[in-house]
Amino acid sequence: MNSHMQEKRGRRLGITYSAPMGLWLTFFFLVPLCIIILYSFLKKGLYGGVEWEFTLTAYRQMLNPNFMRVFLRTLWVAAISTIITITLALPCGYAMARSRHQVMWLALVIIPFWTNSLIRIYAWIAILSSEGFVNEALKALGIIGESLPLIYNQGAVITVLIYMYIPFAILPLFTTIDKFDFQLLEAARDLGASKPESIFKVLIPNIRSGIITAVIFTFIPIFGAYTVPLLVGGKDSYMIGNIIVDQVTKTRNWPLASAFSLVITVVSTIGVIWMMTSTASERARLKAPAQVVDANGGIS
Amino acid sequence: MSTSPNVKSAAVAAKLKKQPKKKRLEPSRLVEAPKGTPGPYKLPKNQMFQDHRKFGFSNIMLVLVIAFLFMPLFVVVTYSFNASRGMRWTGFSLEWYYKLFFDSKELWRAFANSFVIAITSSIVATFLGSLSAIGIKWYKFKSRAYIQVVSFLPMVLPEVIIGISMLIFFTAVKIPLGMFSIFVAHTTFNLPFVFLLVSARLEEFDFSVIEAARDLGATERQTLMKVIVPSIMPGVMSGLLMAITMSLEDFVITFFVSGPGSTTLPLYVYSMIRYGVSPVINALSLVLILGIMLLALGFRRFLKTIAASS
Amino acid sequence: MEKKAFSRGWIVAVAATLLVVSLFFATGCSKDEASSKASGKTLYLYNWTYYTPESVIEKFEQEFGVKVVLDYFASNEDMFAKLKAGGSGYDIVFPSQDYTSIMMAEDMLLPIDKSKIPNLQYISPLVLEKATYDPDMSWSVPYFMGASGIAVNKTKVTDYARDWSIFADTRLAGRMSMLDDMREVMGDALAHLGYSVNSTDDAELAAAQQLVNEKWKPNLVKFDAEGFAKSFSTGEFWVVHGYAEAVFEELEENRWDEVDFFLPPEGGPMYLDSMVIPKGARNVELAHQFIDFIHRPEIYAEFLDRFHFPASVHTKAGELMTVEPFYQGEDLANYELKNDVGADLEKYNEIWQTIRYVD
Repeated sequence: MNSHMQEKRGRRLGITYSAPMGLWLTFFFLVPLCIIILYSFLKKGLYGGVEWEFTLTAYRQMLNPNFMRVFLRTLWVAAISTIITITLALPCGYAMARSRHQVMWLALVIIPFWTNSLIRIYAWIAILSSEGFVNEALKALGIIGESLPLIYNQGAVITVLIYMYIPFAILPLFTTIDKFDFQLLEAARDLGASKPESIFKVLIPNIRSGIITAVIFTFIPIFGAYTVPLLVGGKDSYMIGNIIVDQVTKTRNWPLASAFSLVITVVSTIGVIWMMTSTASERARLKAPAQVVDANGGIS
Repeated sequence: MSTSPNVKSAAVAAKLKKQPKKKRLEPSRLVEAPKGTPGPYKLPKNQMFQDHRKFGFSNIMLVLVIAFLFMPLFVVVTYSFNASRGMRWTGFSLEWYYKLFFDSKELWRAFANSFVIAITSSIVATFLGSLSAIGIKWYKFKSRAYIQVVSFLPMVLPEVIIGISMLIFFTAVKIPLGMFSIFVAHTTFNLPFVFLLVSARLEEFDFSVIEAARDLGATERQTLMKVIVPSIMPGVMSGLLMAITMSLEDFVITFFVSGPGSTTLPLYVYSMIRYGVSPVINALSLVLILGIMLLALGFRRFLKTIAASS
Repeated sequence: MEKKAFSRGWIVAVAATLLVVSLFFATGCSKDEASSKASGKTLYLYNWTYYTPESVIEKFEQEFGVKVVLDYFASNEDMFAKLKAGGSGYDIVFPSQDYTSIMMAEDMLLPIDKSKIPNLQYISPLVLEKATYDPDMSWSVPYFMGASGIAVNKTKVTDYARDWSIFADTRLAGRMSMLDDMREVMGDALAHLGYSVNSTDDAELAAAQQLVNEKWKPNLVKFDAEGFAKSFSTGEFWVVHGYAEAVFEELEENRWDEVDFFLPPEGGPMYLDSMVIPKGARNVELAHQFIDFIHRPEIYAEFLDRFHFPASVHTKAGELMTVEPFYQGEDLANYELKNDVGADLEKYNEIWQTIRYVD
């Protein structure tokens, strides 16, 4: 076959293989999103649903200062949670990649997922309550006299969010670090770099795409978190996810819920595209001849 | 992976010749080949250099994080043996396990629903996702970028948004809420996971094998069934397992798209919130975890015997 | 080595296991279905969680030779959203008063054939007076009328006001919660100030908003409509605003003396849950029979006994109760039903935003 026919055949095959999933996602994922876009510009019906009247009320309502305050709070919680999660996940991913028992570590990271997420959250309530494990232990050790308010506040929300999303950060980091050539670290050490230097100047830049993927997989879902702030949060812990659900179930303001969803979707899509382009460019870079970093950080 | 070790080693060697050797941590960081190993011995590349100490920082972190991940499970299991319902430990009891197996009609109905949906949606998602991964990986066609982006989004978007959009969609299109709507929703959010895992597996697959098969006259279907599928099986299987896991434990999306008679296990647990989480649920959690672990272990042994005989 | 390709045997093994497990569940389920297949009738109920005793359901199943399938909801909004989204096939739904009137207005219900329900004679006329949206039971039959109240942990709190102002008590700060329910919290504040819980007057609403935000909220830990009972039973919260049946369900009976549950005398918001037959019901006849069955004095007394409810709706069952209710029907004298306020709900929404979203 000549290359033109091969290309055509390639295209045909590609489309045949990918069309089913593409069609499914288009119909059951994109179309609902489009309906949401449409609804965000319509008027709210009295008892739910929408009325076919074009209006920007939903967007105007979104700019309400109460919502803005919750938005900033959500941003703050998501940022802190993501930073801590990634910081914890990096050494884990590294250790797993270097280990001889990778499958065992992978299994251990995934097993907690087989417990219902609500049950895990409830276990945290038992751990953090005034008469829960942590407080009882601290009291038994004589460190504190009165119970600490560990639960029903933002701190509890951040802790439990970190707990729920660490596996989402570890897995992409592990996958990327696993592909990393550890000889580069060895080379850096030989050239006089200290251990932290070699980590920060050689390892981190080369797993950039893994870090970005981990960030995307952590930040975006945390940003839209709903059950965790609802169950372990207090009066200061309401997040955007809660607001959106409220608009659908309680105040039945579907246009407003759609407006919020749309904004988050747009931002998430940008994030995903950024993640994918960085993964692709890194893959291309790895195919080029290696560059060695010397002790002064210069590249030759 | 297409790094060329020879080029790299040559560069490093050249550098080393020019500069004096720095102090090494241990006498020899190169791992010796075990005695009696014939021929050139290649360790996995991640173990070639022993700079990675057993009790080093990253290993300790890993152990701590795993312990952190398991701590709530430990709590759940402990309370499943508690004699009373509350948080206070009043004694060891198997009462809740008894209740789980003999007096929990509603729970098992919900579990059956969860199970059916998990299996069906995972199989469909695995099927669609794996095929698509093959198509995207190797072939160029016009809508390739579009499918790539669209395949990532459901995994990344917050669940509340996916749930709400599906609820609004089903309402608008007049599809009644029930097992079918949950099935559709679960398949949709499972697809990206399968796609991702199978794609990752395809990274390591050498396309020249396909070309060889074609040169030898294999039709597309033969190539698919006899060459591609067997070697991407690990990716497909992990995708399937991942999809089943995500489907079984999903709460938010199911919350929005469930209807009459389609209570799934997470929804049932949620409905018990008003009266605290009954320890029966804790007992069920332990049973499920043990069950899945047994499955996984059992298959590993089965695998090993198959691998040894082939 | 783990990275070796998995052989076909693996797939067969997995498939076989899945098949076996599915069969297990299929047979497990069919055992339940057997009885209903015999008579061919199933009654589908959409009810609040734990609102109808198992024993009552079983008695009904046995006497009429049918099967009852229950689906649960935790809030009216949930239920309404699901029904609006096309969830049909329920024979009886148990909405609260405001949603009963909304469902009537939205033409979602089938009329009640009173001739099929002789036990309607036991429905208290006082309740029907309050149910202004449907006083002659054309569309709904009252099920239970009650209210949320305040539960105080007597072992931790000894000196407190026995009314809504307890939430302004700064000594109890960090140990209290109120329901995560806009109409409930606003209703409490309005009642405490002497206004109607259905007020749409801007000045009154503003006063209620100020009361909640400035006097009550600083002392609250969270607004919790689901876990308050659990938190109360573990001693996390000492004072909760919630439902008696939830709080006492969570505690063992020997600890019931520790709790002082009361309905504040100023009054407050009250609910009236009714049984309605939505459009699309499959078994209208059987639904009527169930409603009649529930209101048999001895059956209704069983229901009251199970949850320690007062006989606020039924004139006869109260005499047949064998346990003390958690509160008395007379306590509800000052209470008002939370009626639908229509488009003015927006005013409540906006105020609730300042309460709930801002700390």
